[in-house]
Amino acid sequence: MQDTVLGSDAPRRTERRTGTIRKRMWSQRQLIWMSFPLLIYIVLFAYVPIWGWLMAFQQYRPGFSVFNQQWVGWDQFHFLFSDEGFLQVLRNTVAMSLINMVLGFVTAIGFAILLNEIRKSLAKRFIQTISYLPHFLSWVIVTGIVATSLSTEDGIVNIVLMKLHLIDSPILWLGEGKYFWGIVGASHVWKEVGWNAIIYLAAIASVDPSLYEAAEIDGANRYRKMLHITLPGIKPVIIILLIMNLGHILDAGFEVQYLLGNGQVVDWSQTIDIFVLKYGLKVGNYSLATAAGMFKTVVSIVLLFLANSIAKRLGEERLI
Amino acid sequence: MGVHVKRSALAGLSAVFAFGLLLAGCSGKGNGEASPSASGTTGGSAGASASAGASGNAKTEPFTISVFYGASGPIPTENNKIYKKIRDELGVTLKEEYLVGDLEQKLGVMIAGGDYPDLITASPKLTAAKAVIPLEDLIEQYAPNIKKHYEKVWNMMKDPSDGHIYWLPNYGVYQGNYVSTYYSGPAFWIQKGVLKEFGYPKLKTLDDYFNLIEQYKAKHPEIDGQPTIGFTTLAYDWRKFPLLNAPEHLAGYPNDGGVVVDPKTNTAQIFADKEIAKKYYKKLNEENAKGIIDKEAFAQNYDQYLAKISSGRVLGMFDQHWNFQQGEDSLVTQQKFERTYLGIPLVYDDTIRDYYLDRPALNLQNGFGISVDAKDPVRILKFLDTLLDEKWSKVLNWGIEGEDYLVDDKGKFYRTPEMRNQQEDVTWKQANRASSFLTYVPKIEGQYSDGNATDAGSQPDEYFATLKDIDKELFSAYGVKLPSDFFSPAPENRISYPAWSIDLIDGSPAKIASTKLEDLGVKYLPKAILSKPEEFDSVWDEYVKQIGKVDVKAYEDRINEQLKYRMDNWSVK
Repeated sequence: MQDTVLGSDAPRRTERRTGTIRKRMWSQRQLIWMSFPLLIYIVLFAYVPIWGWLMAFQQYRPGFSVFNQQWVGWDQFHFLFSDEGFLQVLRNTVAMSLINMVLGFVTAIGFAILLNEIRKSLAKRFIQTISYLPHFLSWVIVTGIVATSLSTEDGIVNIVLMKLHLIDSPILWLGEGKYFWGIVGASHVWKEVGWNAIIYLAAIASVDPSLYEAAEIDGANRYRKMLHITLPGIKPVIIILLIMNLGHILDAGFEVQYLLGNGQVVDWSQTIDIFVLKYGLKVGNYSLATAAGMFKTVVSIVLLFLANSIAKRLGEERLI
Repeated sequence: MGVHVKRSALAGLSAVFAFGLLLAGCSGKGNGEASPSASGTTGGSAGASASAGASGNAKTEPFTISVFYGASGPIPTENNKIYKKIRDELGVTLKEEYLVGDLEQKLGVMIAGGDYPDLITASPKLTAAKAVIPLEDLIEQYAPNIKKHYEKVWNMMKDPSDGHIYWLPNYGVYQGNYVSTYYSGPAFWIQKGVLKEFGYPKLKTLDDYFNLIEQYKAKHPEIDGQPTIGFTTLAYDWRKFPLLNAPEHLAGYPNDGGVVVDPKTNTAQIFADKEIAKKYYKKLNEENAKGIIDKEAFAQNYDQYLAKISSGRVLGMFDQHWNFQQGEDSLVTQQKFERTYLGIPLVYDDTIRDYYLDRPALNLQNGFGISVDAKDPVRILKFLDTLLDEKWSKVLNWGIEGEDYLVDDKGKFYRTPEMRNQQEDVTWKQANRASSFLTYVPKIEGQYSDGNATDAGSQPDEYFATLKDIDKELFSAYGVKLPSDFFSPAPENRISYPAWSIDLIDGSPAKIASTKLEDLGVKYLPKAILSKPEEFDSVWDEYVKQIGKVDVKAYEDRINEQLKYRMDNWSVK
């Protein structure tokens, strides 16, 4: 962020400036020491392993050193992009990611704003706790619950719809490809809405109360206050999170689709990660898995910068 | 200025997030090959074993062997009875590590780190990475029992690529008469109650089987208040065989995995797109139109499948017994014995002889190997050699005489009901059995020289003692003694049998083709079965067309090449 850059009083002489930086560093020495472990951690686990990308250009066999392998150039990428299934997989990944993102944002923001309007703090805390508890469940359990609720045998969804006379016979939810994206989106919302709302609630709490008072004096009702004070107040947070999420657009998830998917819906359920597991790891082709991972990383970084520069151009909060 | 303060705080926060993001983005592919630290569990044994090397026959000199199992298991307690006996009498302490999580991943990490335990679970990955030592010369020289044990199958154990022996197969070497009391292989299963209802008819063909299920379902549309399910199947995760494997058996072939092998020419071809497969799925399609097939079958997960079976309202399915055993165990616990299953070897028509029951083949690609890190492989081999002795084999299989089994005046081993119950108790087993170890070591199967079965499960009297009333009634109605008597006796195995144990080689076109074939199967077969009868043919044609796009030739070629290798090298001279 520009406003945190050192030396806002720039036109000093270099000597004095260096002196100031030293002084400042000295005065912040504890903080600097504290950030070292983090830095080492990042270098060790994020930058050092990058040399492993060499594998993507080899036919890698485990147990031998990286320099003792057969080099194959772009063959792995070629296989990846010439495979008929890969485009479909890419489509599914992006589609489910977007659905998850949009649903995730709308529901979490909406939920946070509504929760914020509850005056009774006991009720508020009760609702909040209940709504974020599913976050701590593993996807294995959640998909189990989802599969059971959607079952045609005694699934609650079919029972309710039948009792309401909305449908005549139970629907085989998990056997129809067209429902699959929606089911994944809804499961995400159920699991994450409460958790995602926490950060917005925190942002809302930091909105200056005097603004609300001023609006009230001007005669604004609740909806007006939500629209003109709360939402603009948390806009920076929304934008930052949006940028961060855009970087993850190719991470539509793995567990949900893997655990809920089956042969009948495979055209809609297979994501990049599942593809990599099947044709990379399970058949022992680590190079292909690396190539797919590289592709994902490159796309993520491009998207991240793209979103960041758009935000910059719109004069909004940004990440880098 | 509340807003401003918040903004800069946010900036700091987002900087941290940004690094986190980079971290997440980059570490994903790195940790597969760059984190050797996790596997360093085996170093400790080296020191202990170094001293024992010089004098080979000093059996009581303390010696530690580190072991890695490719499966999780009941972890033995500190002073487990059997381990203690091994420690006291042979001087060997086993330092065990069990699998947590995914085996392939764990092995990948071990290989990346190049740090192996002494005794290690078999895997083609490890031979490819040259992590295990060739054993044939050492066995010839130091391990007479092992040599004798594997004499007949010696050539089969050799690695097709370099002719060395790396693994000691854990199952499939028999001596004496092999009595199989128990059938856990593939079959069409049907509830015993259904057979009882219609006076125990003889079922031979697929049509007989579905006729009976239809009649029963018409008569009893509900079981315990819930709708009866005529026939279900499973195609979830790696458990796809209930859907994919039935046709080869119906056509009279043994279980060769994804191919059928012509025994005369010893050549394999896939059957997924052939007439024998179409016939089966067309039948399922017809049954689906009659409402017999469970509509949810292809969308259900393994838990749902088991839950259905344990509810007692599934009349039949094609499966291997061990795959649905948990569901059946629950039926036994609920005392619903009539809802438990009998396996029947169905065929397409009377002219076909069923080939479900096979002679146990050598369990290649399984068991233990000795890693390059083992300090004293000779001592380890000698230890395994000693355990192959009948005395130790009895200790491992039956336990301690007087405590875990008794011997009657004719010398037959038997257990009292309390002893039998103990054997089912996991906590008791942790303290008194070496189950995982027994699974992996080379062992005698069949009979001991004194006529007793090598383990309690195959001692006929032990088996009869656990039968329920309905079983006795059923067996006497059909005039058989054992569940395996329903099957035609297994003929001598084809020398190259079974094709499913062929290593397709990681990353090869053959392996990719095999994965694609499976994917197409679970995608198109449900579609075909659930389509309207008049649409079946068009879906099937589409399926065959898609299979045509897969490199089937690479898959068949690899299998045929290996079948030929086996023919040339495994034939007993």
